Amino acid sequence: MTASRHAPAQPHVESRLVYAHGLAALITLLISVAFGILASIKMITPDLAGNSAWLTWGRLRYDHTQGILLGWLANAFFAFLYHAVPLLTGRPVTSVRLGHWIFGLWNFAVVAPGWVLVLAGFSQPLEWAEFPLVIDAFVVLALLLACIQFLPPFFSRGLEDLYVSSWYIIGALIFTLFAYPMGNFVPELVPGARGAAFSGLWIHDSIGLFVTPLAVAILYFIIPAATRKPIFSHFLSMLAFWMLFFLYPLNGTHHYIFSVIPMSAQIGAIAASTLLGVDVILNVANLLLSLRGSGFFPRDIGLRFVSTSTVLYLIVSIQGSVQAQMSVNQSVHFSDWVIGHSHLAMLGFASFAAAGGLIHAWQRIPWARYDAMLLNWSYWLLLAGLTVMVLDLTAAGLVEAHVWQSTAPWLESVRAAKPFWLVRSLMFVPILAGFLALLCGLIVGPRGGGLKAVQDSIGLEPVREIEPRLVNSSS
Amino acid sequence: MKRLLRMSYLAAGVGGLGFFAMSVLLLAVWPGRVLEQQIHATSPDHPLPLTASEQRGRAIYGRDGCAYCHTQQIRYLDRDIRRFGAATLAWETIFDYPQLWGTRRIGPDLSREGAVRSPDWELAHLYSPRSLVRDSVMPPFPWLFDGAPDRPTQDARDVLAYIQSLGRNRELAGKEGEAHARAACQCSDDEKRLAFDAPLLNASAAMTRRQGDYPKLALSHDPERGMRLYSRDCAGCHGKDGQGNGPGAAGLSPRPTNLAEHEYTQDRLSFALWNGVAGTSMPAWRDFPLDDLAAIALAVRGLHSAQRESSPGADDLGAGVYADHCAQCHGEKGAGDGPAGNEFAISPTSFRAQRLNLEATIRTLRDGVQGTPMAPYAGRLSEAEIDAVARYAREFFQP
Repeated sequence: MTASRHAPAQPHVESRLVYAHGLAALITLLISVAFGILASIKMITPDLAGNSAWLTWGRLRYDHTQGILLGWLANAFFAFLYHAVPLLTGRPVTSVRLGHWIFGLWNFAVVAPGWVLVLAGFSQPLEWAEFPLVIDAFVVLALLLACIQFLPPFFSRGLEDLYVSSWYIIGALIFTLFAYPMGNFVPELVPGARGAAFSGLWIHDSIGLFVTPLAVAILYFIIPAATRKPIFSHFLSMLAFWMLFFLYPLNGTHHYIFSVIPMSAQIGAIAASTLLGVDVILNVANLLLSLRGSGFFPRDIGLRFVSTSTVLYLIVSIQGSVQAQMSVNQSVHFSDWVIGHSHLAMLGFASFAAAGGLIHAWQRIPWARYDAMLLNWSYWLLLAGLTVMVLDLTAAGLVEAHVWQSTAPWLESVRAAKPFWLVRSLMFVPILAGFLALLCGLIVGPRGGGLKAVQDSIGLEPVREIEPRLVNSSS
Repeated sequence: MKRLLRMSYLAAGVGGLGFFAMSVLLLAVWPGRVLEQQIHATSPDHPLPLTASEQRGRAIYGRDGCAYCHTQQIRYLDRDIRRFGAATLAWETIFDYPQLWGTRRIGPDLSREGAVRSPDWELAHLYSPRSLVRDSVMPPFPWLFDGAPDRPTQDARDVLAYIQSLGRNRELAGKEGEAHARAACQCSDDEKRLAFDAPLLNASAAMTRRQGDYPKLALSHDPERGMRLYSRDCAGCHGKDGQGNGPGAAGLSPRPTNLAEHEYTQDRLSFALWNGVAGTSMPAWRDFPLDDLAAIALAVRGLHSAQRESSPGADDLGAGVYADHCAQCHGEKGAGDGPAGNEFAISPTSFRAQRLNLEATIRTLRDGVQGTPMAPYAGRLSEAEIDAVARYAREFFQP
């Protein structure tokens, strides 16, 4: 790490692209949440807007999850990458022009038309792959452009002293480029049980190779940046990184336990799922040790979102390892337990990381508006809504599993779930309010408010002091 | 040392891609090959592919999210098999591009739904689920219809065709096919037990049966519970007063029975509740506790409005007409067991087990029963003959 230490002192962060993707993330987030709310209310009053094919439950659900994945999280991740990659590498991203193309493609050739096509009845019934094939082509193109945009700075610097966030970013972009076409195209060509084996991989890879690495990259980036301390152990961070990329892809078949897919593949996936829990314990231990001294609820709001995300990552991963076990899976599979799990992962772990990363980057845009109080409200509202919702859905899943195991008519499980569904729907109030507060916190308030907030609390750090922490000092 | 580290990171970087390739090989490509061999060994020689209409229906099923509430995968677990039937074999899904296994089960699994419900029921349920199943949370799909459940568009017909294809190939494979697959399947004894030795290929409790053992329901003494269950589970079709005019009745042919015009023996109700009425939209309710079924039977008997009338005036004219025109189907002694009756999808009514009031009997004779083999006799028999045979047939009833 000789030359790399002397990278330009002020790598240029393309603030406008951070801002554009951040704003797109928040707007698509609110739309995706609206889809989710409507879908959940329809489970209580199924005849609401019952005459509208465009607003039928299935299509809303498709748009909800695709919007969260490709609208909110992907845009928030892009915003974070525009902030982080120059700091991690000391080099600017490949091209601003390319950035405009990626932004345009992603939002106006993928998310917006994807939503409309699904509502109009063009989709594919595959989880995390509901947008129709024509959209998938643009996703792959945009992912390729994203690789061109963000990866060269890493490679021109050399791999040997890359900080762990860099590894996660490289891994996420490259693996998603491979996994996305596998999950979206192959099941159209390989039927039935054989296709399901591929779908199972993608259901997990979309979270494990796209969302998780980028969310963990944010955790590893924000914690040293906001605490002003190096992370606890670079060695542990790299160990956990390689374990994650070894184990995560091997989890997929745990979505089809007790199916006709060969038992040895199922057992392999269960073993990998169990080991993954161990890996996450390692990773989170490292992150929490890095957070020592910041308290449970750090004053810095970006760091607070991130530290909560770290804890949720641990909980959701251990839950995942547990529910992959046959004894548990046979009961809770197919139930609302799993819906609770996925919200803990996406609304909890991933969204809190994405929000933390976005706020952190936002604070450092000199001309961006910022309102600390609204962001504080956002945090508490989201945490409250998420907690109640996940506990509620978990309980619903256990009740459903109990009825299914009995000889009672099927409909009894629906009746038993209804009160839980009502509570889940009511949680739209804190969650929607929380996300609205997040949006408002970043578009109202004084310009440069974020920068001022940082200066007033711990003082803004010159980049040359941040940078040394963002290299792998063990090398 | 540093050189070594640099090399190791590079090696790991390349290895990383290997991890992904390995996962695809181990968990998708290799299992795919195993499945392909299993399919080759266990599939019947010529499983029926989906027709054009069924394929279109499948696309609508996928487009509108049906697979996100209804799985099409019966797991290798006793609890799944008890509810839905034998575990799903790989060859059953070979026409599914893409697969529709599903990972969430809000409604029941539909792997074998094809044989369970009547076409009318499926269409009426698609049009307006809660008109038939009050507590269902299924979305309605009225845009597949021309404004009424009995006016399906081609889209609705296609969805219906697809639903009716579910489980068909396994059903058609029959005992021979099962035995062949069982012998050829390279699977563990436990898997064989779950895939081939399930008590029923289709275990849906709603599937109607023309014959079959049924429990004799006890006489319930809980009219309140009976009415509560009746209005929850029966009134959708039979109407709140039992007149066969519930909100779900419009699309069904034959129409739901007017229970207010009928007297039933307890035995008849026991049979109909347990086995359903084959050939009609009346499903079976075998998943209900017997206490509940007994309470429903009590409620149904309570709906009969008229007081017990004996039928004065049964005479030789009625007996003659009956023997000439009715006995072939309904049986000499009115037990619904005439020699021609077995030819029909819907069993002829047993007059010994149920009795219409006189007025309704005469109306039925004149007009027939739409959707059943019961023909109208208005032009063929004189009014006097109709009146006489109505009185005669009503005498068979044995309460």
